[in-house]
Amino acid sequence: MTHRSVVTRSAATGLLVAVCLLTACAQRSEDTIVVGLSADITTFEPGMISSRDNANIAQHIFGTLFSLDPEGNHLPNLAHTLEISEDGTAYVYTLHEGLTCHDGEALTAEDVAYAFNRIADPQNRFTGNAPGFVFTSIGFQDAEALDDLRVQINIARKNPIAFGLITEIYVHCKDSYEQMTLDEAASSPIGSGSYRLASWTRGSEVVLEKVRDPGTFRRIAWRIIPEASTRTAELIAGNVDIITNVVPEQIEAIDASGRAEVRIVSGTRRMYLGFNLSEAHRQLPGGEAIQDPRVRRALQYAVDVPTICRQLLSVECERATGLVNPPNDNADLTPYPYDPDRAETLLDQAGWQRGDDGVRFSIRLQAGRGRYVNDVNVVLAITQYLEDVGLDVEMELLEWASVYTPLLRERSMGPLFFLGTGGGLWSPIYDMTDLAEVESGTNYTHWSDERWFSRWAELSEAKSEEETRAIIDEMLEVFYEDGPWLHLYFQPDFYGVSDRIVWEPRRDERVHVFDARLR
Amino acid sequence: MSGVALATPPESRARRELRRAAHVMLDARWPIFAVIVLGAVAIAAAFGPVLAPSDPNRQNLALRLADPMAAGPDGTVFWLGSDALGRDVLSRLLYGARVSLLVGIAAISVGGGIGIVAGLLSGYFGGWVDDLIMRLGDIQLAFPFILLAIMFLVVMGSGVGNLVLVLGIGQWVTYARIVRADTLSLREKEFVEAARALGDSTPSIIFRTILPNILAPLTVIASFNVASVILSEAALSFLGLGVPPEVPTWGSMLAESRDTLVANKWWLAVFPGVAIMLTVLSFNILGDWLRDFLDPRLRERT
Repeated sequence: MTHRSVVTRSAATGLLVAVCLLTACAQRSEDTIVVGLSADITTFEPGMISSRDNANIAQHIFGTLFSLDPEGNHLPNLAHTLEISEDGTAYVYTLHEGLTCHDGEALTAEDVAYAFNRIADPQNRFTGNAPGFVFTSIGFQDAEALDDLRVQINIARKNPIAFGLITEIYVHCKDSYEQMTLDEAASSPIGSGSYRLASWTRGSEVVLEKVRDPGTFRRIAWRIIPEASTRTAELIAGNVDIITNVVPEQIEAIDASGRAEVRIVSGTRRMYLGFNLSEAHRQLPGGEAIQDPRVRRALQYAVDVPTICRQLLSVECERATGLVNPPNDNADLTPYPYDPDRAETLLDQAGWQRGDDGVRFSIRLQAGRGRYVNDVNVVLAITQYLEDVGLDVEMELLEWASVYTPLLRERSMGPLFFLGTGGGLWSPIYDMTDLAEVESGTNYTHWSDERWFSRWAELSEAKSEEETRAIIDEMLEVFYEDGPWLHLYFQPDFYGVSDRIVWEPRRDERVHVFDARLR
Repeated sequence: MSGVALATPPESRARRELRRAAHVMLDARWPIFAVIVLGAVAIAAAFGPVLAPSDPNRQNLALRLADPMAAGPDGTVFWLGSDALGRDVLSRLLYGARVSLLVGIAAISVGGGIGIVAGLLSGYFGGWVDDLIMRLGDIQLAFPFILLAIMFLVVMGSGVGNLVLVLGIGQWVTYARIVRADTLSLREKEFVEAARALGDSTPSIIFRTILPNILAPLTVIASFNVASVILSEAALSFLGLGVPPEVPTWGSMLAESRDTLVANKWWLAVFPGVAIMLTVLSFNILGDWLRDFLDPRLRERT
């Protein structure tokens, strides 16, 4: 055993003893699994849920019509069959018989239609993933019950990934939600999934109780532990079974503890630095400069992404060329190399020479804190790289749940902002759908390039795989050259898993605890 | 006794007081340690940019988490190691001294200034002015200070200016109460009556006649308060509510060390922690000594 590993093991043991003394090592119940999340959750309103941590809990409370496994295979959930009309605009789902919601109300096609239409109701002003991403992407029109078991979802135009997107809509019953105010629905969900909400202590803990299969554990406790060292300490002490977002520096200590280990998966979340191109942000310092695609392209050369991956994320990575996960991306595109001299030359050519103080222009960079792996250090490193080529960056690190998330909903972060958006491996179009429309809730940059947005109609009408692929590649080339993202990396995910349980992390960041079990 | 003091020329009185201060300090010994530490911190704060081996914000990802005394490929030595972004810990510590001292002294100036004026007005005028100021103080004391500071900084935004303001506001009540009590007693004294009889204006009586006579106890309180303000700054920076992330402070350095402490990168926590501990301890020792030095009962003994 090396000196370093002895020291690390000693440190881990010391930490364990300290945490045990302070918290009294919990004798966990065998019917309860405890998950430590890094970011707080804000709502259980199906129309407002937008963050992955929030969705990870909600997916245990609400059923969906179908679901997708990490590879994109379709799995029946509340529905067992789907028929799609010839023109591709009507999706008819047939539900299982005998479904109920957590309050005992029978779940029928009318309830499903109500759940969909409620999310789309403009009076509710929902801005979560369902209305802001799914519905705008598929052009949701309405939903109607054909009989007790068959519900029809109508969409504006044929969409090759509508089926996959509809799997993200949470289903609930009609009567209970008609009686609830929006605030009540946000805090006291009555779902249709395997678990019901037993308690929610805001900022601290959410406890779910099993109602029906699937689900191995009777209770799931989701603890909000924003501070990375505390999550690690709690895992080593045996107080939690799974933790998300392990800081790379702590991997060795966890593995050396003998009580847990770190699992690293190659995630699908697209990490990028966004350029907010809205008119409001044009007026801010630096806002005018980033309107110019030449400036955006120049800045691509300013950031050394492989070094950020290697040093701050402890993995080797190839820089992203766009918003589509490999291997679905455009294979002809080469990642922008780190070439600060070229960045400076291009900025000069774009008309943004250094001033007497060495500054080309000032700009604000906003980022949430604690949501992504080592996010604060990554943002600090990016700031340094941008300052090296002459930008004066005013960095703002904001609390994630209560400060940054509202900015996301309003698409008002920036002019520069650091963000990661969830992706998938089952279709390139799914990853591209963030930018389905200029006004999509997930087009955080307000990018409006016609060469991208005019191609969507063409894409939906494509007759063959080859034709689809050709359009996708052309769109991705535009995005690569003149897009609104400074391309970074696909985030690796680090999970700490207690030796007490058997659980496999997924690549799509969904923490499914249904099939976790005691070792 | 006072007649003798008045008859002594000012230079010789000052010299005598200085001699007595040195004598008391040498007698107690610990204040010498405090003066040396605070002198070193003051030099670090004043000459940080000259003394620092490198730019405290200059990152070098390839040399991150270097052990103390480690040398980089260009010969740069990280005397106290480097942090998670490859920044030199010694340079950040030196720059951090500047922020800690600046915030400590500026906050005391703000808090002391507000508190002294409020206390003087309250004690001199009495009546509704006294009631209003003292009740405002009571209301503020009803809030836990750290909660008040967090609320203020969340609303107003972080930054050195706002930090100084909130820490200063947190201190004014202490000064106001002490000054009020002394003013209540002094305003009835003969020399104040005499000033009034000679036709001095009210501001002149308050600020030129009463104020100089109550400064001594305030100096003692201020020296203790600098220590507590430095701790509060460290606590707020630790919570991410202090100064912007690119400004190195001892509190934010401690906060940044959390993730790497488990990985046995001890130097990231130990050095700023020791700096805070020594500075706060020194201010407390100095305050203690100052209190003894200014105590008239002990003065007679020395």
